[in-house]
Amino acid sequence: MRPAWIVVALIVIVAIARLRRRRRAPARPPASRAPRDRRHPLGETGLVAGREIRERLRGRVFRVVTALLFLAIAAVIVIPTLRTTSAARATVGVVGGSSTLDDGLTALAHRVGLEVRLVDEPGLAAARAALRAGRIDVAVDGSRSVLLDKALAATDTSARAAFVREVSLSLGAQGAYARAGLTPSQVAVVAGAKPLAVVSLEPAKRPATASETTALLGVILNFIVLTQYLTWTLMGVMEEKASRVVEVLLATVRPLQLLSGKVLGIGSVAMAQAASLVVFALLLGRAVGSSFVHGTAPLVAAATLLWLVLGYAFYSWVYAAAGSLGERQDQVQSMALPLSLPLILGYIVSLVGVSSGNPSVLVKVLAYLPPTAPFAMPALVGFGEATWWQFALSVLTSAASTVVVAVYAARIYRRAVLRTGGRVRLSQLRRAPSAAS
Amino acid sequence: MGVTRRFGTITALDDLSFSVPSGRVVGFLGPNGAGKTTAMRAIFGLTDLDAGSVRWDGRPIGARERRRFGYMPEERGLYPSMLIAEELTYLGRLHGMSARDAAVATARWLERLEVADRAGDTVESLSHGNQQRVQLAAALVHDPEVLILDEPLAGLDPTGIDVIGEVLVDEARRGRCVLFSSHQLDQVEDLCESVTIIDRGRLVASGTVDDLTTAGARRLAVRVEGDRDGAWAAGLDGVTVSEIKGGEVRLVLGTATSDAVLDAARAAGRVTKFDFERRRLSEVFRESVGA
Repeated sequence: MRPAWIVVALIVIVAIARLRRRRRAPARPPASRAPRDRRHPLGETGLVAGREIRERLRGRVFRVVTALLFLAIAAVIVIPTLRTTSAARATVGVVGGSSTLDDGLTALAHRVGLEVRLVDEPGLAAARAALRAGRIDVAVDGSRSVLLDKALAATDTSARAAFVREVSLSLGAQGAYARAGLTPSQVAVVAGAKPLAVVSLEPAKRPATASETTALLGVILNFIVLTQYLTWTLMGVMEEKASRVVEVLLATVRPLQLLSGKVLGIGSVAMAQAASLVVFALLLGRAVGSSFVHGTAPLVAAATLLWLVLGYAFYSWVYAAAGSLGERQDQVQSMALPLSLPLILGYIVSLVGVSSGNPSVLVKVLAYLPPTAPFAMPALVGFGEATWWQFALSVLTSAASTVVVAVYAARIYRRAVLRTGGRVRLSQLRRAPSAAS
Repeated sequence: MGVTRRFGTITALDDLSFSVPSGRVVGFLGPNGAGKTTAMRAIFGLTDLDAGSVRWDGRPIGARERRRFGYMPEERGLYPSMLIAEELTYLGRLHGMSARDAAVATARWLERLEVADRAGDTVESLSHGNQQRVQLAAALVHDPEVLILDEPLAGLDPTGIDVIGEVLVDEARRGRCVLFSSHQLDQVEDLCESVTIIDRGRLVASGTVDDLTTAGARRLAVRVEGDRDGAWAAGLDGVTVSEIKGGEVRLVLGTATSDAVLDAARAAGRVTKFDFERRRLSEVFRESVGA
């Protein structure tokens, strides 16, 4: 028998058993008239979350910030590729060329990072005409002159300008060597002089890899998104309390449902925004041939998103509880500041660690602390300095801490959200009864 | 056992017990700080009780029952920047309605409360009176079986009072329980069949308006032509003169009979008015709370 048939048979058996049990059960007294329940599939929590999602997506701040983030990501990915691809291609017309001259020009071009295509020009007039027509970028008239369509500006640092200067110097020097009576082999020795090696005691800084750069961007993204959405969570709770709508809501919805719906709704928007930014970055990177999509960079991006979820889950309860302690919207800043201190610490330490190319011991310690792990752990992943079990340990620690924080935050919220008449202090809540159950 | 709620040393509800019958508009009266709002919040579980419980149909009230109640708190509460129609639909859905039913009910109530043209506006853009109407719509949108309204008439102009008053009476006629608090006793007397009066968290009077206003000593309003000062009543024994205004004497019968009063008035001149009067609800209230 196929597995699908086995599943269908089990479902039918269970359904029949439940039906028979229901028939055998004693009839319950009819409840007083109740409306047919057609709530959201996720219940009140889902409805609250849905409202949060709609209202946040509708907000002008969300749209502007999202647009700016997309633009920033596009700039970070596209601009480096533009610089590399436009670096350097030039067509060089050569008048009276020789294999020695061609080799010399190619070597000079390679030295300044210019990719050249050499074309023979029958004479100087033809070279001038080709320059004016834009068919060639530079013309080299044997060892006599270098021709350009426009004079080089002193500030021009392009590869083409560097090539022109190098050719000018090199061909001039070779002419001087010839006039000095050096044999071609002597000229070759002099022209091939190499500068002395400059040795530093400290090793040179190696360039950042794609995954390290992704980690850097991930740390910044997590900080921006967490700061924005956690503040919204705090403001959202405070708005409901200040406008007294919370009393209407809690007449129907349990405090935990209202709180969970808010956290879930705002968190969903945050996650959707961050995920769309990451997907956009990966697709754009692939389209323009950026190094961001190579190697372990996508894995680092995934780790960043996971830590965004964990970070929001941990902090959102704290911010929501803090919002229930406030009374007026103008208290948002003063209430958010102390809460954001561990967030800022984790961000700065991780950012410095990633930027320096060598994550410090402090970053490695912070990667296991739930308030700072959303920044430190993606940084370690970017540097390949976190094994799978270290990553898992940090995730479990954060998840467990979130449960504890959520329980306490819900307790504070329940006791504080209906208390009006001034900012509520935690000491006032110790023996206070809950506003609703 | 009634419900008791203490805030520190203050007893907001002191073994308070009363019932609200369905099909009637019941006024919930009391001086400031009497415990009206605390009692209403207790119905919705918005404040814990130190003793007693609130029951409906003989059963303790839980989350399921509360979805069938409508509540208008004293301090109005709606999302200020949310669109009115969306907000009401959202509240309807929280009470168990489908999105479509909630939208239909929202349109119906906004029409009934004469604010349908503001459905696409935000609450904060409305005048106080219209906000009050929308707040009432929020309490009604899910067709509740119990309506608990804290000061629904406060700050309304006469038109607004008429509109909301009609809605409350109609809901009661449909068999709903309607309990509302107010300090506007004239309006309460016009709208309510019954009142419950509390003071310092205790029940001090409860019953139909007719029973409460006709209970106790009988009252008379007598006018004697030409006697603007009511001098004829000065020497009457067995009565208490409560008011003399524009020649009309209001008095409360004690040991004297109404016949004796009529005789005394006739002796003073031509009697142009001789009415048995009910007490005003405001008088019942003042007597009940000792004001």
